[in-house]
Amino acid sequence: MLLDIFDPKAPPRPIGIDLGTTHSIVATVRDGRPVPLTTCDGTALLPSVVYYSKEGGILVGRAAKAHATREPERTIQSAKRFMGRGGADPETKRPGAYRFAVPETEDEAKVVRFDLGWTRPSPVEVSAEILKSLRRSALDQLRTVGGVVITVPAYFDDAQRQATRDAGRLAGLEVLRLLNEPTAAALAYGLEKKRNGLFVVYDLGGGTFDVTVLRLEDGVFQVQSTGGDSALGGDDMDRAIAERMLAELAPQDARTPELVSLVLELAREAKHVLTERETVELDVHAPGAAPRRFTLSRSEFEALIEPLIERTQRACRRALRDADVSPADVDGVILVGGATRVPRVRRAVKELFGKEPLADIDPDLVVAYGAAVQADLLAKASDEVLLLDVLPLSLGIETMGGGVDRILPRNTTIPAGARSTFTTYADNQTGFEIHVVQGERELARDCRSLARFSLKGIPPMPAGMARLEVSFDVDENGLLHVTAMERTTGRSQTVEVRPSYGLSDEEVERMLIEALDHGEEDLEARRLADARVEAERIALATRKGLASDADLLTSEERAAIDRALAELETAARTATAARPIELAIDALAAATHEFAGRRMNRAIASAIAGKAVSDVEQSVAHAAGIEAHLASKGAR
Amino acid sequence: MTDPFDVLGIEPRFRLDLESVGARHRDLSRALHPDRYVGRPANERRLALSRAIEVNQAFGIVRDPVRRAQALLARHGVSVPEGSEPPAEPTFLMRMLELREELAALVATKDVSALERFIERAEADEAGAVEALAAGFAELERRAEPPPEITGELVRRLGELRYYRRLLGEARAARDEIE
Repeated sequence: MLLDIFDPKAPPRPIGIDLGTTHSIVATVRDGRPVPLTTCDGTALLPSVVYYSKEGGILVGRAAKAHATREPERTIQSAKRFMGRGGADPETKRPGAYRFAVPETEDEAKVVRFDLGWTRPSPVEVSAEILKSLRRSALDQLRTVGGVVITVPAYFDDAQRQATRDAGRLAGLEVLRLLNEPTAAALAYGLEKKRNGLFVVYDLGGGTFDVTVLRLEDGVFQVQSTGGDSALGGDDMDRAIAERMLAELAPQDARTPELVSLVLELAREAKHVLTERETVELDVHAPGAAPRRFTLSRSEFEALIEPLIERTQRACRRALRDADVSPADVDGVILVGGATRVPRVRRAVKELFGKEPLADIDPDLVVAYGAAVQADLLAKASDEVLLLDVLPLSLGIETMGGGVDRILPRNTTIPAGARSTFTTYADNQTGFEIHVVQGERELARDCRSLARFSLKGIPPMPAGMARLEVSFDVDENGLLHVTAMERTTGRSQTVEVRPSYGLSDEEVERMLIEALDHGEEDLEARRLADARVEAERIALATRKGLASDADLLTSEERAAIDRALAELETAARTATAARPIELAIDALAAATHEFAGRRMNRAIASAIAGKAVSDVEQSVAHAAGIEAHLASKGAR
Repeated sequence: MTDPFDVLGIEPRFRLDLESVGARHRDLSRALHPDRYVGRPANERRLALSRAIEVNQAFGIVRDPVRRAQALLARHGVSVPEGSEPPAEPTFLMRMLELREELAALVATKDVSALERFIERAEADEAGAVEALAAGFAELERRAEPPPEITGELVRRLGELRYYRRLLGEARAARDEIE
């Protein structure tokens, strides 16, 4: 490697993180190409394992995994499976090595916690340990780390996404964006191939299966449909093998966590061996029992996983139907996830799509590469590529009878929004409860309960008179924002409503402060540093805007912006705490509010009326009808 | 809400080249998607988000024949929310009744391939209803002052399309369930 000389003025380097069920990876773009960074294990792949010792120590990665056999209940693997899940969730109830804390309140029951004696971390906190380790590795190699893009399975619902973002914030990362794993994979491929067409991303990871149909046209990746199973993956193959061995080894009640963990590890190795060889021999040395030898052939293994393969096929067919395309329309299939190395899986893909899948990028790294590319594009404010994702699961509201009023169907392009109007059903009713659910089932109780929102402060009036308009916005990350407006009284009051499972800014701050006791860096110093970075970024963006669109401003407006800008720059230079800088940022934002709106209108007008010369050739054929229409109406 | 044709800057017609509407949607998304506003002040990002939502909503409406027809009728001051259309003609209702009985029987036998064939036929019927609607709108678009009979007829045809839509939705849901 060339000497990487540290330049103190170098801008923070954006990074991409694939926070996987079994492995996590951090990557960055160097000289225009994504490269993995070395983790604390000295490899690109960091096992997503966190070990909490009895004495209060925390280990991450291979060092943590070393404890899995002897202390499985203290060694948290596959924490991602529990993200955003409550104690009553089927996922939590699956047999496993972990002991979950017994919730004391209804609120506590919403988030599962691992009971480890001195600590009871939630899956968010466990994931934050993995992210912290990756952040440290990135800092060691890049010196300064900027924003991060973290990938999530496309099928993740709002609670799971929120949990992932919270984990990033807890790890002290600036989360620029949550990116769907298949979209990330397509980004990693698409940029290299520069080719328009219809692609399918087949992503069989450790714990989740996603299938995404997307169209790439003129640098815009538009997801057509996405489907899959958020509880299906390579781990299930291990489990299928382990189940067979355990059936012979020990009756249900004699299965200690140690034995289950040992057999699972052997099963995983067997799966790996069977990608290359026809048979594998497994020796089980369970503590206190005679050694046993098992033989497993590839065809036996394939029979064991056949139900899993069928589930993936079904999800693929459904995603194709949702996109209104047939397998023959597909130009390429991209494989993602370690489990796609299993020969039966590749055969299944070939059977369904009638073509050899693409796998020239390491399926374990491709998602992290895409995340790094996206982080780089976002940091550069590049307009080369745009990702238009979709809502993976329908959003609905529970109706009076327990049914679901679907407000946004699945596969709606995001960002997306919908409005619903509610009215009171009792005289002088002043409050409302809205139950938002996500899923495709007919009954609210069969869907995933996202949140119950309480709306209060409706003025007393007869039943049916109050008009409450509730907006449901899904942002580019797939995160839901709910705002309510009371329309009857004429004064529209907006209430930001937060779902009950996400962490508030205050909670994140409190948890970060608590982390200080464990020898982390100074929080106020970091807030100040963050505010300075933010100030610099906003000042830069404002200067850029002034350079290109100053003609949209009157001289008074211009003077006000220049003043606010100068004040921000002074504050950023001289302030010794974050607060004055944050205030100056707000003041500049207020001064540029109108300007921003006008610039956006100009951007829209130019997108409609014509484009930069370099783009014209590509799109002129497409847009001919519209251009002709505009020309007939005269210049706008 | 804002007229979707205006949001996309396209001519309000029923027959559209969806390819070029898609290209327009991409161009507008490139200008407004929140990813283009990373690092900008929070209020600017919120504004971009709400306008990007508006563009996506407009594209969703224009792309779908039922919602497109609704939006076009709204431009002529005719509001037709789902379920508000006048009762369908008896012969049409009879036919729908028969189709429903056929679907119920197919669902009971759990015969996926027969269900697939049923769906294909219903899709053809749906396409026919879209075509009838398109012809009606062509008539409407030719006139400067369309008489109310024309919009009334369009509302009726829209109603028929919705019937087919619902039938198809149920048939597809049944197939997904059985599979």
